[in-house]
Amino acid sequence: MKTKDLTTMAILTALAFALSWVERLIPLEMIIPLPGVKLGLANTVTLFALYRLSLPAALLILTARCLLSALFSGNMTGLAFSLAGGLLSMLVMAAAKRSRHLSVYGVSVLGAAGHNCGQILTAMLLMHSAYIWGYLPYLLLIGTACGAATGAVSAGVLRALGGRARSAA
Amino acid sequence: MKKEHDGLTFQRGDAVAIAAVVTAALVMIALLLIPSGGNGRVIARIYQDGEVIRELRLEENTEITVEGAYRNTISVRDGKIAFTHSDCPGEDCVHSGWISAPGRSAVCLPNRVEIRLEGEADTDDVDAVVQ
Repeated sequence: MKTKDLTTMAILTALAFALSWVERLIPLEMIIPLPGVKLGLANTVTLFALYRLSLPAALLILTARCLLSALFSGNMTGLAFSLAGGLLSMLVMAAAKRSRHLSVYGVSVLGAAGHNCGQILTAMLLMHSAYIWGYLPYLLLIGTACGAATGAVSAGVLRALGGRARSAA
Repeated sequence: MKKEHDGLTFQRGDAVAIAAVVTAALVMIALLLIPSGGNGRVIARIYQDGEVIRELRLEENTEITVEGAYRNTISVRDGKIAFTHSDCPGEDCVHSGWISAPGRSAVCLPNRVEIRLEGEADTDDVDAVVQ
């Protein structure tokens, strides 16, 4: 691994961690009382890594961010949720990105949907209950709105930074 | 001239993807809202780790506490039920508010406690006997 790649990934991990931390200050669940509702700002970093670096790099950044968040919050149940959601989301986004008919907006929305499904699956496993899927449609609706918003942010960031992250030697 | 696909501009495919997710969500909500039959009376089952630990009737006001990794207080008031207090982090369960319709549920994930509102089956229930 080149030192430059390592540094870029370290910076992106720090940024993703900071964003997921800042996000807690926005009390979205006070307005929409569903467990697990959040903006998903850190997903802009994941999208950036997926578009400008590579899938393995994006996976490493995501895993490191989830572990850091769990360490700092001491919430190990949360780790299962964020990892399951994050990994399923990554899988969906990597597949969706291959489609020529989808831009970063669609990739982000489908990624959010993947994240919601991962969270619900984890909850069903943890609670030994299939009943929880009743939350899924509501999470999907909110996730679509948040996914489109983070998609717009990502499009802006990717456009502003152009090909620099990759081409600068 | 055909515009080059840069992956950053909103496309028709994105609209299709959004519509698909929203439609799926709406279909699920419609399925959830279909009443499951029964005699209209709602019973609240309290689950912990997937097992029923209490059954509460919404007709009687009451308050119970559930111990686990954390302590939840569950209250029944005027035909509605809610987590009214919890010492879990986040307190999402308390923010879920009061529920009363069959099919609804409220959960406290940290404590693995779930309130499920289920319609009471009327098969083995006799309303009145006339002689």
